[in-house]
Amino acid sequence: MAYVAIADRDVHLHDPQTFIEKYIWSQDHKVIAIQYGSVAIFVGLIALVLSLFMRLEIGFPDTFRFITPYSYYQFVTMHGMIMVIYLLTALFLGGFGNYLIPLMCGARDMVFPYMNMLSFWVYLVSVIVLLASFFVPGGPTGAGWTLYPPQTVLEGTPGADWGIVLMLASLAIFIVAFTMGGLNYVTTVLQARCRGMTMMRLPLSVWGIFVATILGLLAFPALLVAAIMMLLDRLLGTSFFMPALMSLGENSGHNGGSPILFQHLFWFFGHPEVYIVALPAFGIVSDLLSTHARKNIFGYRMMVWAIVAIGALSFVVWAHHMYVSGMNPYFGFFFATTTLIIAVPTAIKVYNWVLTLWRANIQINTPNLFAIGFIFTFVHGGLTGLFLGNVTVDLPLSDTYFVIGHFHMVMGVSPVMVLFGAIYHWFPKITGKMPNEVLGRIHFWMTFLGTYAIYLPMHYLGILGMPRRYYAYGHTDFIPGSAHAVNEAITIAAIVVATAQVIFLINVFYSLRKGKPAPQNPWNATTLEWQTPQTPPVHGNWGPKLPVVYRWAYDYSVPDEPKDFIPQNEPPKGHHSLAH
Amino acid sequence: MLTAMVIAILTAITAWWLLVQRLREKPWVNQGVVPTSQETLFSSAPKIALWLFLAVVSSLFGLFSSAYFMRLHDAHGELQSWVPLAEPSILWINTLVLVLASGAMQIARNRADHEDLGGVRVYFSVAGLLTVLFLAGQVFAWKLVTATGNYGPGNPAYSFFILLTAVHGLHLIGGMFVLVRTTARVWRGVDKLAVVTRSRIRLSVQLCTTYWHWLLLIWLGLFALLSST
Repeated sequence: MAYVAIADRDVHLHDPQTFIEKYIWSQDHKVIAIQYGSVAIFVGLIALVLSLFMRLEIGFPDTFRFITPYSYYQFVTMHGMIMVIYLLTALFLGGFGNYLIPLMCGARDMVFPYMNMLSFWVYLVSVIVLLASFFVPGGPTGAGWTLYPPQTVLEGTPGADWGIVLMLASLAIFIVAFTMGGLNYVTTVLQARCRGMTMMRLPLSVWGIFVATILGLLAFPALLVAAIMMLLDRLLGTSFFMPALMSLGENSGHNGGSPILFQHLFWFFGHPEVYIVALPAFGIVSDLLSTHARKNIFGYRMMVWAIVAIGALSFVVWAHHMYVSGMNPYFGFFFATTTLIIAVPTAIKVYNWVLTLWRANIQINTPNLFAIGFIFTFVHGGLTGLFLGNVTVDLPLSDTYFVIGHFHMVMGVSPVMVLFGAIYHWFPKITGKMPNEVLGRIHFWMTFLGTYAIYLPMHYLGILGMPRRYYAYGHTDFIPGSAHAVNEAITIAAIVVATAQVIFLINVFYSLRKGKPAPQNPWNATTLEWQTPQTPPVHGNWGPKLPVVYRWAYDYSVPDEPKDFIPQNEPPKGHHSLAH
Repeated sequence: MLTAMVIAILTAITAWWLLVQRLREKPWVNQGVVPTSQETLFSSAPKIALWLFLAVVSSLFGLFSSAYFMRLHDAHGELQSWVPLAEPSILWINTLVLVLASGAMQIARNRADHEDLGGVRVYFSVAGLLTVLFLAGQVFAWKLVTATGNYGPGNPAYSFFILLTAVHGLHLIGGMFVLVRTTARVWRGVDKLAVVTRSRIRLSVQLCTTYWHWLLLIWLGLFALLSST
């Protein structure tokens, strides 16, 4: 039995003694998860501040002298790239993936702890390289997060000297880090599950993280290929992407390169990236809803199949980001069709979340509020995706604020709602302290209503035809004065939402110091991470005996049972525990 | 197209594996049952990790190849910049050397299965030397191409030739680290090795062999790609 050999081996893979081994060069998945999470949240806060700068400029043009057209584009670019890659990907997979996979699978650690540690430190290097671009001559790149050539490497684009080089280098380093972590996550799920934990007994959080990691392993190479080739175009004068053109009155020296090729490579990574962020969110939110609604998840098998189907389909929809790139119209037809097909498994998931809540014993607490809030924001963002997925509707809406509203709802706000829900949910296990409920609820309502106040009006602005990526709009006929008023209101809402995040940070630090000590299983949850002998779990997770799993992860409110939940490792009546 | 094929194959493998794992299981009806065994694809985690890594590597080279074709296709415009390369014939010799390296690796693997660590020592070293020879040959091929033709970075055929061979070479160099480490461990003392170390060496040899064969396959694909245009 292979799984026993790995999950239950007594060989001490690593036995930390000193402070440095325990908390800095740590090979413990829980410490690495916290390291990943802290760095990701730190850069995320930087990206949040950058977005506020952008909003200040759009809401109140010509008011803030430090925001120039040059720096505005740098803020746009860094905000997008940091949020998508260095915050969301790193926090979901590096943070929650690291924390939850071994605990939920009933393992003592990741299969390759040393490589896991390296993964974090290489990630940290990528973050440092990225942030270093703020301090080099010319500053960070301002090419937009999609980094489209040829403008990305041409003089005149902000950061065309050093910024773009550091950005591409940082992405390449990040991909190395992700690959090391990703190999670990997948192998651990496949190989290190405890006795009785079949794949179909895994909590959906693990399924989401597992499939998302596979997507990442296959999709990130596309970004690596694009980054390497663009780096060569920039540094050695090759012409992979750079066409022959005159720049600032001079021949750039490039010849015949294909900018469209870059777009294909970028979106072949970029679209699966959406699901690399979304699938862990889907999985985690399923567990939050089921636990806090005291009801088994509706259609568990369908949920698993939908995750797998969405993962597979996400590789054949990438060109719906390129309808206006001048590609063959038949391609547009193909990609619109696949895009609409992917709505089917996604809709199954949404129905199942709603049906899980149907007539459930819904607990109103912070994690559940965020989980239910996610259903709203995700349905909203998903439905506007149907507009943009159709070629004819997309053409007039392309590059307008409608697109900004759509993708922020679907892959900005929605995953972040889940992240907050997940942080409040697992905070007691991770820290041993209960988070403050009142501050949590204030945080939720300000964030939920605030983000609607930001992004709902953007759809209207987009339908008016207001283009995105503009530093200043000036006075044009098609943008009425009311649009400027809306922009001011959006900016104020953005400031309110940013303030709410300060409340969140206060809650985290306050609860860490003064929070009530957390019991072992405060939410009465069934999954294995709540059944550890210590809270927070110590090194090795399970003490001398590994858990044995007897049932699936969703035995809530089982009829004729005294408790409204049965942990996965609880043997059936009349059976002795097989734990050894 | 190549990318699509690679993805299709990987998806097919995943799908097949998932079927093996009984995705049709109904986890809510069999509470209390503890399966006596669980199917897994491989007996050891490092082997799974290696195959996953090879999937990543294949995806990388598949995408490079797709980029190659698309760039070639796009070059047939008015601004023709793609000047086909006359690949030096030393590439045939290099290919032969890499095939021999792979063969030596396979023999080392057989020796390891027969607990003949002396044989492992010999053939592993031979495989390492042949790989170094291959890499040197590739560098020599760069020099030949650069010297004979009037190619510059503006010619994508030339840039792709250097880029693809370099990325492939880097993967071999990465493998050389493991190879050197394992060889050093074997050289330190064949007879004194504990049972645990022996099984670890056998595993390293198996992993290296798989990796070398796969990189040989990728090189054959790249060579065909480069020669065909």
